Amino acid sequence: MKKKALITGVTGQDGAYLAEFLLDKGYEVHGIKRRTSLFNTDRIDHLYQDPHELDQRFILHHGDMTDSSCLIRIMKQVQPDEVYNLAAQSHVAVSFEEPEYTADSDALGPLRLLEAIRLLGLEKKTRFYQASTSELYGEVQETPQTETTPFYPRSPYAVAKLYAYWITVNYREAYGIYACNGILFNHESPIRGETFVTRKITRALARIKLGLQECLFLGNMDAKRDWGHAKDYVEMQWLMLQQEKPEDFVIATGVQYSVRDFVNAAGKELGINISWKGNGIDEKGYDASGKCIVAVDQRYFRPTEVETLLGDPGKAKEKLGWAPKISFRELVAEMASEDLKAAERDELVKNHGYKTMDYHE
Amino acid sequence: MAKRALICGVSGQDGGYLAQLLLAKGYEVFGTSRDAQISPFQNLSLLGIKDQVRCESMSLNDFRSVIQVLINVEPDEVYNLAGQSSVGLSFQQPVEALESICIGTLNLLEAIRLTGKSVKLYNAGSSECFGDVGDSQANEKTPFHPRSPYAVAKAAAFWEVANYREAYDLFACSGILFNHESPLRPDRFVTRKIISAVCRIAKENEGVIRLGNMDIKRDWGWAPEYVEAMWLMLQQEQPDDFVIATGETNSLQDFVATAFSCIGLDWQNHVETDSSLLRPTDLAVSKGDPQKALRVLGWKAKYKMKDVVKMMVDSDMA
Repeated sequence: MKKKALITGVTGQDGAYLAEFLLDKGYEVHGIKRRTSLFNTDRIDHLYQDPHELDQRFILHHGDMTDSSCLIRIMKQVQPDEVYNLAAQSHVAVSFEEPEYTADSDALGPLRLLEAIRLLGLEKKTRFYQASTSELYGEVQETPQTETTPFYPRSPYAVAKLYAYWITVNYREAYGIYACNGILFNHESPIRGETFVTRKITRALARIKLGLQECLFLGNMDAKRDWGHAKDYVEMQWLMLQQEKPEDFVIATGVQYSVRDFVNAAGKELGINISWKGNGIDEKGYDASGKCIVAVDQRYFRPTEVETLLGDPGKAKEKLGWAPKISFRELVAEMASEDLKAAERDELVKNHGYKTMDYHE
Repeated sequence: MAKRALICGVSGQDGGYLAQLLLAKGYEVFGTSRDAQISPFQNLSLLGIKDQVRCESMSLNDFRSVIQVLINVEPDEVYNLAGQSSVGLSFQQPVEALESICIGTLNLLEAIRLTGKSVKLYNAGSSECFGDVGDSQANEKTPFHPRSPYAVAKAAAFWEVANYREAYDLFACSGILFNHESPLRPDRFVTRKIISAVCRIAKENEGVIRLGNMDIKRDWGWAPEYVEAMWLMLQQEQPDDFVIATGETNSLQDFVATAFSCIGLDWQNHVETDSSLLRPTDLAVSKGDPQKALRVLGWKAKYKMKDVVKMMVDSDMA
């Protein structure tokens, strides 16, 4: 019989890649999406099937991580073999502005799902994956970070995710639920949210190249991150639920670059050679013609910064044979080329007299 | 002018003793409870200070009620002792544990930010955050490994406090308190349950007490002196987190044996084990290292487990 998976946060980057991955594996995939007045299914529209089709294998439900009863009802109806909890208020900077909502959806949300598993007597049937994050390491206590590195969260987002991490461990230990945390380091793709720094960079540089935007404003350019491709990482999420015993894993590439490195790499892919002048908040990046195209804007600094994150994916490799396939260079190239296509589309529209929006925050 | 303190969760054990301490230091003391109209504030009555503490209704889950009380009271110091306080109960009410502890602490931190006043905050952390420490003593640098919904919520609240201190320069501290007991503990806490049963057996000369795991080891201290450490933390130049413990660890069996020896009976004739009282996950050993508190705050526990048991028995028999 077909396995059933339930993905919360199916409209997000990881949700879209994971849904596609699981459909390819023959799963019946259920996804939960929030009701919004604007369409929010861009990333999964290519997977959408008309509900009137026979043998429908991709089914969306309206729901919200802040509503216990709807989560219980959906779980009861779907009776999933695997639950992937990818839903969250996933933006670190926004969590400083909306700390309580972040706690409600990112901490209380997974507790509601775990409680639904218990309440419906699904402890032996349903396996649970919790999307944990390298932000838990925050002010890092050792480098590189492994599954045993102590946490030091530095944002309301990270604190809420810390709760979710430990409640997942506790429900595994207390009630024998097959529940695990994937501690994912940054993972990007052409469908990464536009306000995350990598996507912001590739979008902006593509638009600057075509003259649709003047300048890219960034926060802390010295921040170092371990960037992988989301497509590689969703495979690991699935693998974690296929083992004999539930365990937590770090998912990372083991290589680190600064935000400035990312800007340079994206520039290179787009044929923009950036030269840097100045330091700190006065640092600026210039193109070959001497025009300032990158600058620092203090509004993007966070009240508490995470300076460096570097994961050690040794355990994933040793126990599950997993290693990332897509390199940093390939990741940046794919993102830059997709954003260039989007910018070209905007340029075309604009040249024909229609209005295009800039959409930068 | 007298300093003003606001004690959230004033009806509990620590709230009572802290109110007593602060009144003795000349503070104006305000206390909160979820419904100050119907809460009997027994502990404040027992301590004879009910008339001196001004009680307000406040639910930490409700942002409006938090900000309202902060604006009305204008405290210099806030002590957050509110929230679900039982590990056992948190397995039955995990959401309530999270809401009262995590969301509650977050509301308090946000409300303090919003008022923009220089309010000092003490947050009640818990040794339960450490989980099983094995042979080592937990100090302020020991990583957390929480083993109950209560402990997970307390761990998150600890980091909220640390983050708001670092991000917004709030004077906010967590005291990571190991078990601290007194006659004001409610009966659902095992220590109080044991003392009550022992005193009943002493009077009736017969009877048994049913306990879960007797092998668990804890560091038990005396609540009235632990509240002094809370106050000391807010009198420092810099906000910081501290482990508060006696530094001595004993098994529950030692605790039981000590209690029975206080009334001259052999515990082995009066104790039955009951596996239904076991928790889904529990800590085997909890051990604290209070050296930083001694070094920085000059605080040291005077009373160890044997003293605590004796004082609790004496109080119950009186």
